[in-house]
Amino acid sequence: MTLLAVEGLRRSFGSLVAVDSVSFEVERGEVVGMIGPNGAGKTTTFNCVSGVLPSDAGTVTFEGADVTEAPPYDLARRGLVRTFQQTRELETLTVTDNMLLPTPDHPGERAWHAVGRTAASEQREQEARERAMDLLGTFDLRGMVEEYAASLSGGQRKLLELARALMLDPSLLLLDEPFAGVNPTLTAEIVEHIEALNADGLTLLIIEHELETLTDLVDRLIVLADGRVLATGTPEAIMENEEVIDAYLGG
Amino acid sequence: MKFEDLPVDATRAGAVLLVLAVAFLFSPLFVRPPAATLVLFEVGVLFLLYALVLVGLNLQFGHTGLVNFGPVAFFAVGGYVAAIVTANDPYGAVGLGLPWPVGLAAGVVVAVVLGALIGASTLRLRDDFLAIVTLAVAEIVHGLIVTVRDVTGGSNGLQNVPRPIAATTGGGGAGELFATVLVFGALAVLFYGLFHRLSASPYGRVLRAIRADEQVTETLGKRVFRYKFVVFVYGAAVAGLAGALLVFYNGAAAPGFFTINVTVIVWIGMLIGGAGNDRGVLGGLAIIMGFQLATRFLNEQLPVITPDQFASVRLMLIGLLLMVIIKYRPEGIWGDADELGVES
Amino acid sequence: MALPLAQEIIFGLVIGSYIALGAIGFTLVYGLVNMINFAHGEFVTIGAYVGFLSIQIAGLPLPVALVVTFFGTAVIGWAIARVTFEPMNDAGAVPLLLMSIGLGLVLRNLIRLVAGAGGRDVQVGVATYRFEDLGFFVTSQQLFIVGVTLLVVLVLHLFLSRTMLGIAMRATAGNEDLALVSGIDTRRVRNVVWLAAAGLAGVAGILLAVAQEASATVGFGQLLLMITAAILGGAGSPYGAVAGSYLLGIGIAVSVAFLPAGVTAFGSTMAFVVLILVLLVRPGGLVNAEVRTT
Repeated sequence: MTLLAVEGLRRSFGSLVAVDSVSFEVERGEVVGMIGPNGAGKTTTFNCVSGVLPSDAGTVTFEGADVTEAPPYDLARRGLVRTFQQTRELETLTVTDNMLLPTPDHPGERAWHAVGRTAASEQREQEARERAMDLLGTFDLRGMVEEYAASLSGGQRKLLELARALMLDPSLLLLDEPFAGVNPTLTAEIVEHIEALNADGLTLLIIEHELETLTDLVDRLIVLADGRVLATGTPEAIMENEEVIDAYLGG
Repeated sequence: MKFEDLPVDATRAGAVLLVLAVAFLFSPLFVRPPAATLVLFEVGVLFLLYALVLVGLNLQFGHTGLVNFGPVAFFAVGGYVAAIVTANDPYGAVGLGLPWPVGLAAGVVVAVVLGALIGASTLRLRDDFLAIVTLAVAEIVHGLIVTVRDVTGGSNGLQNVPRPIAATTGGGGAGELFATVLVFGALAVLFYGLFHRLSASPYGRVLRAIRADEQVTETLGKRVFRYKFVVFVYGAAVAGLAGALLVFYNGAAAPGFFTINVTVIVWIGMLIGGAGNDRGVLGGLAIIMGFQLATRFLNEQLPVITPDQFASVRLMLIGLLLMVIIKYRPEGIWGDADELGVES
Repeated sequence: MALPLAQEIIFGLVIGSYIALGAIGFTLVYGLVNMINFAHGEFVTIGAYVGFLSIQIAGLPLPVALVVTFFGTAVIGWAIARVTFEPMNDAGAVPLLLMSIGLGLVLRNLIRLVAGAGGRDVQVGVATYRFEDLGFFVTSQQLFIVGVTLLVVLVLHLFLSRTMLGIAMRATAGNEDLALVSGIDTRRVRNVVWLAAAGLAGVAGILLAVAQEASATVGFGQLLLMITAAILGGAGSPYGAVAGSYLLGIGIAVSVAFLPAGVTAFGSTMAFVVLILVLLVRPGGLVNAEVRTT
């Protein structure tokens, strides 16, 4: 069953066409990699899909609904959640607050509940806190709960960003270069987390510019070059694709 | 150094105080403070009104990061609308002569409407441009007050505004001042409490996330614009309320009550105390207003300097203080450097 | 009788010239130092007093005084910026902006304290040329003000387009990080920006002193007009600032003459209305600069 369908997506910046009629689909339960050289349009595609950038043309369908015009907060609530290439922790918030912030449908985020300190708000906060502590345990961040996110190491930030995204109970997670600048040990750890999440039913779309990291992890690869989809297929098929080899080695 | 948590909840304390203050007003009792302390009560009244403005500004800037350089615009609009609605035959201006509660409500409502209009149209601008727009709005409001003379009384202001507290309390001028401080104090505590509950809740967490990174906050499922808008309007409402209270205390509205100095004082108070620390900012306001009071006495002791020169020296010192704080202690006295993302 | 349109346009060009000289510097600082400098008006004021001193006290002829004022104000402004803004260059837009407000308060009141609250006249000879048939007149002073401004714009254009440093400045305005990695000394660029911004503000100051008077608030009074012109032209664009300034200047002069008195009584308030409208309708100004959050 198709979870995400992107059809004819186009986005330009002035005279530069960053993404040009990109179409692809992601099936429920898949792990899909999106690769391509720098400037291929991967992050722009992510930005358009997640609503951060408006697209010039094309449609995005998520869980059967047209979400082309949907703002980022709406997509996040629907279960389409993304991370950023350069990790963007809310540095002036503690690790715990970073985790609690995404809590969906929190009554305490409405002024009346906040001022009235309602039981509904307190209860939701308690539930969210328990879930956050569970996740922080899974991601080896339990020792950091009271720290400000600014004091985390680069690797811890990657983990926190992943854990924080899970607080939204996403059905599709878009990861923008989760392995960039990460040492091999942590890369292996993140791969394990991704595999475990996928085993629990989470669908993932992962941007990466190095093919090797993804080959064992993903079911399918989408190759972008110059803002267009060059090829899609299993990692094995992609590695034998002449056009892809040309784009990577000859380009 | 940090304020210790008070054992009482400010919202409840404020509500109780307000009831007591009103009961006191309607009782035959009055308190007449000694003449030597009256200047403190006079400054105290202004402090409490500015504190109301600051409570809103701190929610806007301290928690949400909205650079509102025009709080005085809402303060002025609240005051002038309340004055116009309630004044009886002001000389050369418009006065509808309606009861003061109507004026109070009208002042707040118009301030809210202005806040909503400006918020809806400008909150998508970058931080520093929001600063320019809000500053320009304050200048426009001031310009309108001075130029639309037939309505506002121009530079003469608007007289014959009802003074409800003076009308109900006994004891003459001193008794009035005491009662005014009591009522305004109760309101200031109440609104401090309400806004503190907002900022200390999951609601406040969203605001601080917006200050840290709007885009990330949005991708985590929060309607950033709506929060910014609502916070802007809350600030406008409480500033409008403060403006209305001011004209009901003075029995008049005049351009001199609503100059850019109000903006400067509340901003500097906030920065001294530590933006984002709800109690700290009030401490900062007390420091800057205390400084003004102290220098006023000083001027009286130093007759060699003309008042005009002295005013220049005082403004220079305030500017210097602002520069020193920004450079050497950007988190202020009671602010949290980690939470504000600054290094000192 | 209302003056004809040609006369109003002359007045507008003069007003636009003061604004332009200030707005260029304001917009350069915005584009290259990434800060809104609320103390920029005080640079204009400093220029007005340097001009007053060179003409009335030192007795220099106006063209010499103009050059002295340009360099004098440039150095003073640069030195002030080095002490105040440069050490906190990385602090971000809002702290820099607050710093500039503090600096503006200090400078404005320091000048007021030293020079007194009243204004100082600067005396220069003025000839008036009347064009009776066409129904307007122009003074040598007005011609001088507009001429100096156009000369400054020409020199600025040559500097930005023909010199290595000017090209480096334009590159830095585009992307500071990129400029840094491509070997541009951004610190040197910022030094030049402060010198140029303060120097041009100084020229605006001496022209204002000559045409009106030197006073402690002469520059502050122009600040919101300069900001409006800079935003109207597209924040960060010097050419846009010049266009925005003349548009604003002519707009002010013409509206004063042709709109009913009730409307023009708002005076400069109208300029702020224009400012807000520009930010709402086309926040990027004439050149469509980026001023929205993402």
